Amino acid sequence: MSSENQATREANQEFISKKQRLFSPMAETSSNGSAAAASVTLIPEDHLFSILLLLPVESILCFAMTCKKLKSLAYSDSLWESICKRDWGHIPVDSLKGSNRLHQFPWKKLYHQVYLLDSVFCTRLLSHKNPDAVLEILPCPRASHSLNLVSGCLVLFGGGCEGGRHCDDTWVAYIGNDFKRKLNWQKIASGIPSGRFGHSCIVINDSLILFGGINDHGARQNDTWIGRLTLHDRSGSITLSWRLLDITSTAPPPRGAHACCSLNNKRMVIHGGIGLSGLRLGDTWILNLSEDLCFGRWAQVVVDQNCPPSRSGHTLTHIGGEQTILFGGRGVGYEVLHDVWLLDGATSSDEEGNWRWRQVLFELHSVPRGFDLPRVGHSASLIIGRRLLIYGGEDSNRRRKDDFWVLDIGSMVNGVYRKMWRRVESEGERPNCRSFHGGCVDDSGRFLYVHGGMVDGVIQPSDPSGLRFDGESFVVEVVVLQQP
Amino acid sequence: MAAETGTPTTLTLKSNDDELFSVAESAAILSVTIRNMVEDGCAGGVIPLDNVDGKTLASVITYMNGISAIPADEEKKKSYRDKFLSDKDFETLADMVLAANYLNMSCLMDAVSAKIAQVMEKKSVGWVRRKFGIENDYTPEEEAAVKEEHKWTFEGVETDDDN
Repeated sequence: MSSENQATREANQEFISKKQRLFSPMAETSSNGSAAAASVTLIPEDHLFSILLLLPVESILCFAMTCKKLKSLAYSDSLWESICKRDWGHIPVDSLKGSNRLHQFPWKKLYHQVYLLDSVFCTRLLSHKNPDAVLEILPCPRASHSLNLVSGCLVLFGGGCEGGRHCDDTWVAYIGNDFKRKLNWQKIASGIPSGRFGHSCIVINDSLILFGGINDHGARQNDTWIGRLTLHDRSGSITLSWRLLDITSTAPPPRGAHACCSLNNKRMVIHGGIGLSGLRLGDTWILNLSEDLCFGRWAQVVVDQNCPPSRSGHTLTHIGGEQTILFGGRGVGYEVLHDVWLLDGATSSDEEGNWRWRQVLFELHSVPRGFDLPRVGHSASLIIGRRLLIYGGEDSNRRRKDDFWVLDIGSMVNGVYRKMWRRVESEGERPNCRSFHGGCVDDSGRFLYVHGGMVDGVIQPSDPSGLRFDGESFVVEVVVLQQP
Repeated sequence: MAAETGTPTTLTLKSNDDELFSVAESAAILSVTIRNMVEDGCAGGVIPLDNVDGKTLASVITYMNGISAIPADEEKKKSYRDKFLSDKDFETLADMVLAANYLNMSCLMDAVSAKIAQVMEKKSVGWVRRKFGIENDYTPEEEAAVKEEHKWTFEGVETDDDN
């Protein structure tokens, strides 16, 4: 028996040594049966990483602070790349990987930079004149237009311009994957959709979905348009074909200056705006689209008492999953708002499911410089690191703003309201005080593109009437890769 | 070898503190390490598990028996795992992670890892050192420097070190 046992033992030993030797001699100290703790250094690195990846960043760094060996382990670049993917998603990480190749910026440093988000960097984009164009070479200065990024192209449509006239032109400028300082605007359509401002437009895959708006006769619309963009690889040319979308249900009542966003690349949600009689609205509608984007069906979200009050000039921003954030705007008493609401459809599986509005309560006076927060005609975009970047807009005295604010969704969800709002400084070229501009973010959440809007007039900047329409474009960089 | 007879085979496992355990082969082979030994024909007599103590091995065997009694229903298995780990203290969990790793039991490994992460969250550096048996090899100056380096993430985080 004992010899047999011995043989087994030897085979066992051999087997173990054939496998990795995972256990250092310290194993003996860990298994002495007393309350002495098992040494974490015995856990193989990949298992340790999978434990660490289940923890919030502060716990991971707490772990790093215990001893030198674990610090070097917990600082590992591959661990932090996984943490970045976990907290930001794959797309921003892949995008950073592409542009980080030259810099070799450590992921932990990038995480730190995004986490702190001390400042954003603004660069004015030069509009390149197309030499072939004879007459109109650049989009005229405008506000309350739409600006979207689809298939690597900025698409500008409509808006209001000098003299209160509407625009009916569609412009595109290819951005591509490489960030350039030049925009080569091409006008590719006019008259379709009909001229309007204060409409809303979202992106679903390679298509734009546009709803509503007001024309210069004051007529409010409730038509839904789809524009499919094609980028021709060989010729480098861009085509965009607009058509009315077939709606198989009742459409929302006509309106302009409403808020909208896309939900998970398959639905559009709108809220509020100014309706037919000039009254501000507070209804919520969701557009469900067929797979091939040929048909759409609008459904009004049935809400209880607890829903955002009627308003216009506010924003809706999709923050992932079935969640959307509403911020700011102008209320029925012409007051400018700062309230935050969350539209959650997590409990709904069917298209007319159980959507709920919930107000995210916070005290404005506990936000540093919070008195600057109420605004209308701003832009609110989801950027890298699960945050909303809010730029511009105007206050109740119609004073335009040039400030950037960050709403931290993690803090908001976890109820850390003290850290929810933060003002962010801007570096580089100041993008002016502006409101009712167009703003959109690229897939990685690193670049916010801003175009046009109302800016302060040249003669009397402080006079509310001293305003003008602007035709400039900016890019706002959230993560600046610099040599350490 | 076991499977040929068609009758349930029992294996005898021996912990590193010489405790012997009988366990049905069908349950024991949840451990890839043990399954390999059985398949290689080296599980004839007592199987010595040199890196697992009796207390931990008893727990692991309870788990093996419990989980293998549940039919293929991931939902039920998960709720069994949750219940199994719910009353384990940190020392036991740390021992189990090492045992699960040694025995190559991925389902137990994942469940214990998740549980350890849950316990570690919001704990102080001192707590983690104590519980993991980590010796602090920082000089006070170095420790202050590391603390300073991590200040950005600890703002507003409170630890709850009530064991």
